[in-house]
Amino acid sequence: MSKAILVGAVAYDPKVVTIWEMIKEYFLAAGIPNDFVLFSNYEVQVEALLSGFIDVAWNTNLAYLKVFRRTEGACGVLAMRDTDVGFTSTIVAGTGTGIESLQGLKGKRFAFGSRDSGQAAIIPEYFLKQYGIDSTKDITPVRFDLDVGKHGDTGTSEVEVVNAIARGDVDAGAVGDQYWARALSEGLVDSRKVKAIWTSPGYCHCNFTVPRKADEARLKNWTDVLLRMDYNNPAHRKIMDLEGLKAWIRPQMEGYSVLFEAVDELDFFNR
Amino acid sequence: MNSTSSTASRPSIDAKRLTASEGLLLLVTRALDRLKPGQVLEILSDEPSAHHDLAAWCRLNAHKWLETPAAPAAGRQVFHIEKGSALRILIPAELDWGCHAEIKDGRFDTRDWLVGHAAEIRKTALQSDGFAPRGAIVEEGSPDFTFDVVDRELAWNESAADFYEQATAGHWDGSRDIPWQKMTALDAELERAVCQLMTFLAENEFSALYVPAKWIARIHPHFSETVLFLSTQVRDEARHIEVFVKRALVNGGGLQFSSASTQASLKSLLDQEDFIQASFLLSVLGEGTFLDLLRFVETHAPEPVTREIARRTRLDETRHVHFALTHIRSVLKAEPALKTKLRAAVLNRASALSGVKGLNPLIDESLAILAAGGLSPDRLPEGLRARAGLYAMMHENRVKRLVAIGFAEHEAAELSAMHTPNFM
Repeated sequence: MSKAILVGAVAYDPKVVTIWEMIKEYFLAAGIPNDFVLFSNYEVQVEALLSGFIDVAWNTNLAYLKVFRRTEGACGVLAMRDTDVGFTSTIVAGTGTGIESLQGLKGKRFAFGSRDSGQAAIIPEYFLKQYGIDSTKDITPVRFDLDVGKHGDTGTSEVEVVNAIARGDVDAGAVGDQYWARALSEGLVDSRKVKAIWTSPGYCHCNFTVPRKADEARLKNWTDVLLRMDYNNPAHRKIMDLEGLKAWIRPQMEGYSVLFEAVDELDFFNR
Repeated sequence: MNSTSSTASRPSIDAKRLTASEGLLLLVTRALDRLKPGQVLEILSDEPSAHHDLAAWCRLNAHKWLETPAAPAAGRQVFHIEKGSALRILIPAELDWGCHAEIKDGRFDTRDWLVGHAAEIRKTALQSDGFAPRGAIVEEGSPDFTFDVVDRELAWNESAADFYEQATAGHWDGSRDIPWQKMTALDAELERAVCQLMTFLAENEFSALYVPAKWIARIHPHFSETVLFLSTQVRDEARHIEVFVKRALVNGGGLQFSSASTQASLKSLLDQEDFIQASFLLSVLGEGTFLDLLRFVETHAPEPVTREIARRTRLDETRHVHFALTHIRSVLKAEPALKTKLRAAVLNRASALSGVKGLNPLIDESLAILAAGGLSPDRLPEGLRARAGLYAMMHENRVKRLVAIGFAEHEAAELSAMHTPNFM
């Protein structure tokens, strides 16, 4: 029997245990020896991947970027969720503030999510800058640094952003479109108080990162089995609903450049 | 619809000024439900935030957000969404639509509800259909239930809806429909006999409540007519227990003696682990015998309260017996070998009860006292004769019922003789 493939994921919620137990069973049923390890934050997961303790890391875009930089681009990617492509950040504003466009944000109080959240902090801050709104000069930033280390996975900071706007504590803020769509679907947002005013260009979110390009071929069988997961199969659907996807897809790497540019532009690792 | 269709023929909805949380998402969701994957829905909107919200929502739900094809018409926004292939619900068949059950003379009779998928009676019910009403389409991946009675042959009854209708129409009120105000004082010995009989009837009716209640929980809901009928039987027995106990308490007497033999006999009914055997022992043999007992009580009742109680409960019991007769007759017709099983059930029960004494002696005596109108030496012989007549009648009618469901005369006589002396 070949060695079990060890996959790492970050335990941002109790449901992560359920998800990975099901994924493990799914692979075992397909004849692939595998196991998983849960980490409390992406920084230790990145170290575990680079040290060879785990074979694959289920990474956020920021964690992937760290692996990419540390391996000087030698790392590889196996797969992503369909929802990891075309991810956007949504700028939302209080309906009473009169803000209807990005230019209207100038001089206003603006809420960001956790500082290591790609979708609710780094990328929106970068895009605002692209559109002429410098967070250090043109707005009063308010940061909800919750669950740092989990790269915004918990969504708690995005909840705070929306609630702060609804309460009138801030005028506008940034959230990921996935959180925004879920909040709208579940009725967690009162659209008489908070509305979307701008959607960012798309970018990529999570992926299964491997430390070497060569791992992509070595783990081809694992990837092929993963991609066969079918949302219209009731057993697979349970996993996919919990993990927030309708299909696993092959890597689409062009969408990661946004975060790379943002990190450099904001000098994220040095500020 | 193909890609060259004009905008005019495209499925389209007008969301006006609705925001996402005020119903826009619901409107779009229901419109997409009517489309096939790959079809495009057009949405007209006057709400500026709709653009952002719908785009985010589409990505989350794996629908394709198409770039707005043309300039918005007259200040309005136009969006196009291509339906994705991820199914919102996983079901193995199309849901019913367009069903119209027939209303006759203003009544929707339960016999007329065999419409659409509800009319499809499976040979074996699916455990995963669970508590969904027959005709509903159950989501794939639903849990398997563990109902014991899942075969049409055992659980389906063509006449169950008919009996159910009779039962619901025949319900009465034990507090109001018995002429309690007409109660009169009785001779003490006669009152004691009535109270003893009421105690016995109530304990028997508890078994007649618990036995179908136990089977309701084990019969697959697919055979809902059977389950609904049995639930009326449970309700009937509750009312019978109520009025028998009330009669024992209403006239200066009280609840009396319950014998070990009666308890053992009734326990053996509840212990049955086969639906048809349990139904046969309880309803054909037990409740069947009770019909003669209740008629006897009605005939010899010393006052209108006891008479009305016996009359009303007998009418209900008649329905239970007829339901079981119809049901078991059809089961035996389809599967004659089951007769051996029913015969074995009677033999086993007789053997299990062989160590216990016969009928509660106080009941035996109370029947004679009731028929004699008390302990007057002048009338006691008549009472004893009437009681002997009752026992003969019980046997005779049991034989008739057994023959009616398909037993030969000599088998029927043998089985009837082995029936518990406890009546039920």
